[in-house]
Amino acid sequence: MPFIEHDDSKIEVNEEGFLAHPEEWTEDVARILAKVEEGLDELTPEHWVVVNYIRDYYREKGLAPMVRKMCQASGFALMRIYDLFPSGPAKGACKVAGLPKPDGCV
Amino acid sequence: MSPLLKVLENEVQVAALLFMAAVYALRLVWIFRFRLPKARTFPAGSAARGIAYSLMNVAMPWAMESTRKKPGFYVQFVIFHLGVAAAISATLIIPYRPALFENEVLVRVFQAVIAAAFLMGLLRLYRRLANPVVRLVSSADDYLSLVLMILFFAAGVMAVPNDYRRAEWPLVLFFGLTAFFLVYVPFSKIGHYLYYPFARIFLGRALGRRGALPAGSIRGRGAEREAGR
Amino acid sequence: MRRRKPGPSGIVAAPLETKSQDNARRDNIASVAQGRLKTYETGAPNARRFLDLLSRRITRSLAVSLTACVHCGMCAESCHYFLARPDDPTMTPVYKADQIRRVFKRHLDWTGRVVPWWVKASAPENDEDLNRLKNVVFGACSACRRCTLNCPMGVDTALLVRFTRGLLTELGIVPEGVFNVSRDQWETGNQMAVSEADYLETLEWMRDEVRAELADPTVEIPVDRPDCDVLYTINPREIKFDPRSIAHAAKIFHVAGEKWTLPKWGWDQTNFGLFSGDDRLGAFVAGNVYEAAARLRAGRIVISECGHGYRSTRWEGYDWASRDQTAPTESVVVTLGRYLAEGRIRVDASRNPVPVTFHDSCNIARSGDLVEEPRRVLRQVCLDFREMTPNGRENFCCTGGGGLLSMAEYRPLRLEVARIKADQLRATGAGQVCTMCHNCVDGLADVIRHYKIDMKVVQVLDLVSRALMAPR
Repeated sequence: MPFIEHDDSKIEVNEEGFLAHPEEWTEDVARILAKVEEGLDELTPEHWVVVNYIRDYYREKGLAPMVRKMCQASGFALMRIYDLFPSGPAKGACKVAGLPKPDGCV
Repeated sequence: MSPLLKVLENEVQVAALLFMAAVYALRLVWIFRFRLPKARTFPAGSAARGIAYSLMNVAMPWAMESTRKKPGFYVQFVIFHLGVAAAISATLIIPYRPALFENEVLVRVFQAVIAAAFLMGLLRLYRRLANPVVRLVSSADDYLSLVLMILFFAAGVMAVPNDYRRAEWPLVLFFGLTAFFLVYVPFSKIGHYLYYPFARIFLGRALGRRGALPAGSIRGRGAEREAGR
Repeated sequence: MRRRKPGPSGIVAAPLETKSQDNARRDNIASVAQGRLKTYETGAPNARRFLDLLSRRITRSLAVSLTACVHCGMCAESCHYFLARPDDPTMTPVYKADQIRRVFKRHLDWTGRVVPWWVKASAPENDEDLNRLKNVVFGACSACRRCTLNCPMGVDTALLVRFTRGLLTELGIVPEGVFNVSRDQWETGNQMAVSEADYLETLEWMRDEVRAELADPTVEIPVDRPDCDVLYTINPREIKFDPRSIAHAAKIFHVAGEKWTLPKWGWDQTNFGLFSGDDRLGAFVAGNVYEAAARLRAGRIVISECGHGYRSTRWEGYDWASRDQTAPTESVVVTLGRYLAEGRIRVDASRNPVPVTFHDSCNIARSGDLVEEPRRVLRQVCLDFREMTPNGRENFCCTGGGGLLSMAEYRPLRLEVARIKADQLRATGAGQVCTMCHNCVDGLADVIRHYKIDMKVVQVLDLVSRALMAPR
């Protein structure tokens, strides 16, 4: 499995750039994933609203939430989610939130 | 002419040809025993046109990117197979219409075509040994078939003048190889000529029906489609 | 004689992962319990079973594709795997096809049965052999069919790859991603395990968005409305990840005055059976759509933009489900073309000024019938439309086809060979690439990101929606 190296940290990711060991997630890991995978220099409070919602949902249900739910919970319009996470809710927001890659051709 | 050559040119060829035809028939039965699922959709094109286009592919080197990118390979293919046609014709002319080969010009033309095919054969053998792509997938059958064809063409060049009074061995070699081929072909890769029309027909039918072939017929199809819906 | 030395093989040596399958068996999920979804059994005589399946399932056209190959190698340069790795002869279509051809020769062909070494015939002997075959047919080929169109003999290598995948799927010897998606589609009727509640909620949400955008409270996204002209079917990705395309479609249908509906069940036009080679799954999913159309007495089935979905629902599905087609089945792009031709919608091309190129999807242009149709639409809704080279039937795969997007273990190789696609995209100089396939959207997005190309991916619905003028 490949590694992302940033400053002094080394994070193991799978071939798609998703966290190989979801239990290793921390806020710092999120920042690194956001920087390296999404090109985001920093995570604003708006980003965190989405990320935290995703993490809570995943902890409870064991899968990624639908984008509809992300929008409802965060209060953001769909376009805003795409602005915040250029790769979109599945490949962008869920990745930063430390989820494994969602199933399916996406 | 010695009795050996006489029999070899005629009876042996007929026997070998009958054998090949029998095996060919068995092979056709084998192919037709596999099921062919029925297509259940509204067509978007014509299966018949797709089949015709697909069969004509051999005469349309511009139709495929592969032959456009490698015109040399296509030319080599044409010369090689013209040589096959010439050599096979010779096996029929010599025993049944030998008068044709008293025409000096015709003999030279046949010799030239078969000699060119012989050279193409050598080129092909080189390619099959030197090119890693082809080498990786080539089997003993591929190599032997090619080597035998090269020998066959060489024998053909020498046999076509039909000068059995001077020396019989080129004719014996030529007809001997022909008889061997007729028996060997159905079990070797040279049998591809049996499968080739079917492969092209099946592909042409499937993609013709779907409107993907022939290429360039799209403008016409739009109108068909609007009418059909 | 100078013999060129080949480079190392790119065939990924991925082991067989069965964690998902083990979980599915442990939980005794319905599709496994009912024997519809197969799982891997260690210790079973899988190699023997493979050969039996081969004998039972082979068709006439497959048999001819297996016997007609003359090993000429003309297919090699039509394949992006080989073009990107020219020192690797294991990346050629002929080599990949030979991996199943050798089994066919050993098991069913007379020369191969009597003197196998003479024609390099050999059958798999154990699960490792089958796993390696899995890595070839799932991991080194996107089944784009480009090789088929470039073969002088008419050998259909892509069809052979699908056939082989189907045999392996029956034995559970598949990449884990393939199993997961198949399981979801069997269990929930859609590829991404979207629940009915989520589906209906998202449709309502998009209806509200379109109502707001058009300032028109009469906009509807009907579900299960009978006797409509159009039954619209979508890709679960549109519900789960990006519903904007549903909003675009709803808006356009409304403006065009269309009598349309989505079905409550049978709305998934995508079909993992195409990728896994499983005709049973293919029949189930496509059958759901056809049943919905029959149940609701819809005039025609319209398929949202998805390549493999189009091919599966418009073409292959009827054959898999052994069901004669009765309702016209078309892509939404064709529907849009008709609306434009009939004046049911009006568009303003100046709303799409950024140069656009079009990426033809393998399952639409090569294994399907639509090449001119999207272009007719695009020329009306964009100011600057330019072709890429090659295009149409001869286009290169987005590199994410054949289900590869769901198979993480093959991603590095897929991105490596995507160099061919990247070069092709860059050469157009366009800021946008339009495609009518959701898979291609993600496949191309991966290529664009990996090769740092300055381009955005859009779909036809996006462009038409942008250009749509309000009704008079």
